[in-house]
Amino acid sequence: MAVLVLAPYLAHRLRRKSAEERIFAPARLVPPAPPQARRRSRLEDRALLLTRAAAVVVLAVLGATPLVRCSQLSLHRAAGASVAVAIVVDDSMSMRAASGSLTRFERARRGARELVASAREGDSIAVVLAGTPARVALASTTDLGAAGQVATALTPSDRGTDLEGAVALAHELLASAPQTDRRIVLLSDLADGHADGAPLNAGSDLPLWVALPELAAPAVDCALVRADQHAARVRVETVCGPAQSAAGREVIVEGANGTPLGRAAAPGGDKGETSVLLQTDAVMAERVRLSGSDAIREDDAVPVLPEAARETLAVVVDPASELVATGGAPIVEQALGALKLDIDVAPMPAVPDSAEELAGRLAMVLDDPPGFTPEQRHVLAGFIEGGGVVLLALGPHAAAAPLGATLEPMLGEAVSWGVTTLRGAEATTVIGGLAESAESLSDLSATRRTLLSPGDSAAFQALANWTDGAPLVARRVMGRGEIWIVTLPFSLEASDLTLRPAFLALLREWLKVALDHAAPLRGQVGAFWSFPGARSLRVEGPCGPLEVTRESGASRVSAPCLGLYRATVDGRAEARVAQVDPREVDLRPRAVAASNAGVDALGQRRELVDVSSYVALALLLLLTLEMALRLSSRRASLAA
Amino acid sequence: MNAAREIRQAIDWGELGPLRLRASQVAEGAYAGLHRSALRGAGVEFGGYREYVAGDDLRRLDRRSLLRHHRLLVRQFETETDRALALVVDASASMGFRGSEAKASKIAFAAVVAAALARIAIANGDPVSMSFIADERAQPIARSSGREQFERIVAALEALEPGGDAFTDPGMLDRSLRWVARVARRGAIVVVISDLLDWGPEAAEKVASLASSGRVLAVVQTLDPVEANFPFSGTVRLRALEGGSVVETDADATRTAYLAALRALNDGWRESLAKRGAQFLSATTNDSLTGLVRSIVQTIR
Repeated sequence: MAVLVLAPYLAHRLRRKSAEERIFAPARLVPPAPPQARRRSRLEDRALLLTRAAAVVVLAVLGATPLVRCSQLSLHRAAGASVAVAIVVDDSMSMRAASGSLTRFERARRGARELVASAREGDSIAVVLAGTPARVALASTTDLGAAGQVATALTPSDRGTDLEGAVALAHELLASAPQTDRRIVLLSDLADGHADGAPLNAGSDLPLWVALPELAAPAVDCALVRADQHAARVRVETVCGPAQSAAGREVIVEGANGTPLGRAAAPGGDKGETSVLLQTDAVMAERVRLSGSDAIREDDAVPVLPEAARETLAVVVDPASELVATGGAPIVEQALGALKLDIDVAPMPAVPDSAEELAGRLAMVLDDPPGFTPEQRHVLAGFIEGGGVVLLALGPHAAAAPLGATLEPMLGEAVSWGVTTLRGAEATTVIGGLAESAESLSDLSATRRTLLSPGDSAAFQALANWTDGAPLVARRVMGRGEIWIVTLPFSLEASDLTLRPAFLALLREWLKVALDHAAPLRGQVGAFWSFPGARSLRVEGPCGPLEVTRESGASRVSAPCLGLYRATVDGRAEARVAQVDPREVDLRPRAVAASNAGVDALGQRRELVDVSSYVALALLLLLTLEMALRLSSRRASLAA
Repeated sequence: MNAAREIRQAIDWGELGPLRLRASQVAEGAYAGLHRSALRGAGVEFGGYREYVAGDDLRRLDRRSLLRHHRLLVRQFETETDRALALVVDASASMGFRGSEAKASKIAFAAVVAAALARIAIANGDPVSMSFIADERAQPIARSSGREQFERIVAALEALEPGGDAFTDPGMLDRSLRWVARVARRGAIVVVISDLLDWGPEAAEKVASLASSGRVLAVVQTLDPVEANFPFSGTVRLRALEGGSVVETDADATRTAYLAALRALNDGWRESLAKRGAQFLSATTNDSLTGLVRSIVQTIR
């Protein structure tokens, strides 16, 4: 074969015209001008030479086609019947690690394409993505063209891994398939951070084929989880795979344009934290990166955010009256403490007159306020419109607001504090998170209650109603925030509401909403960021603009890539960071339950592939090209 | 292969042999009508004016011309006495070249010219000397007159083997010029026959310096028709006989540039020689020998 390949080269060498050498004494007076004609000829000759050599090679390959080795995945079908296949492709961050010359994800995507290519008419294909959260990329379909397009269009992400969720989705997709031969093909490195967990697909009746076991190769990886700057100090958190360490590497803080601002040795151990002291606090660091290299390059850098203050909850109660009743902190504060939330509670004697005093407040509890002054109303309106959540308990003080004080912007009209003979809430009207404790609201020992005007009652969505249908607990969206009202004060003198389990359930539900509204600056990649009340939303990140979806009336997005995201919410800009899922640095594979059917019955990796048709086509193209070159060369010589 | 060594084998006489006979014919043709020594220089009979150049004898400066025209002119005189002729023949490797259209090699052409000049001088009773711009093997012939001197000159020219690389060995030219400067005294005529192709840029000034001290100098450039016309076409690879230069070029595209370079070279020589009152002639090997020798004789009168 080597002789055959060399033959055109030798023929070209023999045929190639070398410039005629002449004796010429004044040669040094001759400028060495580019010999254009000869150069043109040489180029043409080279093209011909390459074409002919390639043709010989292709001819030789064509002759040896049965011996061409090429690893390719294909489905095995018993008795030639159609099969239903759910291809689970892991698009988590761990799949960015290298597998030979490709990344694990690229190898998996190629495997998916090979599997789709091996399918026949009548086979149904579904594609599930195993990055958190597990998603269906393609529901079961017999349209193999669509399946091929989906397999080709798969893109890697930095998400965590949800193999269990993905396999469960695959089960659901195959459940309705008419084919009797159904199987799941898993193209993953099996590194979902649960290496010691129960074997995947254990106890399932559907066979699961791990088609590319070589992806589950051991590897070392460390990642930067977060970086916060406070003054001239940047606090960096690192995480490594089990029994691995970033020792020996450096944490480098960079400013704009990658200018190094400071560095420190990376902490040892699989989890660690280090601080980098900058020379000045006048500059804002942009990102931190980890020197050296490991299995996954993408998680070795993280954006720097200003260190956020701890979130606090403002509670406005009348301390004098509460102190008499409890002998300590107001009862609502004690209830919030009982919830064991990682949130500080800030007691306030009254609603502040300036917005600065509410800065950093997550939400606000107002227990029977005696109306609001115009300044307070302005502050509250801004707080709620900006995403704040208020829990307003209405009692005798709210009903006896002095002249000039109203309950706006939460209630448009005055409320009344009147006698009631009702014992409590109608259990069937209690919904949401309060439903579990609905019975405890049936007897509140209240002799008086607050009644809203019909207009205000209509504006609220009731979560629990008195037995006569008046609202006991209700909520209303205002701007990006929410207002929750309770028509009983939290005082023990007024009712037993605060002693009922439903009160804790109420606080928990209300806080959950408050936390949803208080956008965290950070979130794990793949997790949803919710923007309740946002009328317009646009989020752009390292992977481009994100698709905005709506769920439960709130806009939300899921960030598939690590890094900094710029969100524009109703015209206001916010910065958020998608940070690495620490489990993704654990590249140990999870065990998979052995299939009853056996691997050979599910699919195969063909080592010998008949590519003769492609080779023959290539040979034909080369011969055509050779003829074209010869014709072109001949025309050129005739023209000369 | 070294081209210089290849051509050293022998002179390609072509249509110009035998040398003795051809030289005699040329000399007789050129000498017809000349009845006295055509050699000009210091003498007794006024022969005209020329521009003063550094090194001229201040006694010959024409003061009247200076006062009248504010120009420095030197008076020239003709003489009836014998005038020494010093021939300098370039026998370097490049002179051995003969193109396909040429009657003979450049060295053969130069040899006939030199022999014819020698014969004319000897016929007038003037002494002749000859030196070569070549490697050490070519020995100069001391100044002498008479038929035997002509025979010695012809024999030396016939035995000549072109060789030597003036480009890499500039001392070759210096040796020859030193020898000429030593033997050619005031009033002597120096004729240098060469292709002038492989000498350095300072060669023109060195050769022109022979024109000082009352000597008359003529430089005859001898080129092959190929060198004068550059008749190549297409891509050619040109190898110099001296200096080892190899140039690959598109002849059609570079012909104009080459001819301009050659013209610039000749203009440089002409200008350097004119400053010293010396003459420059250029001929190809296909030109008429008789005409060339007559031109030389008329030039140096």
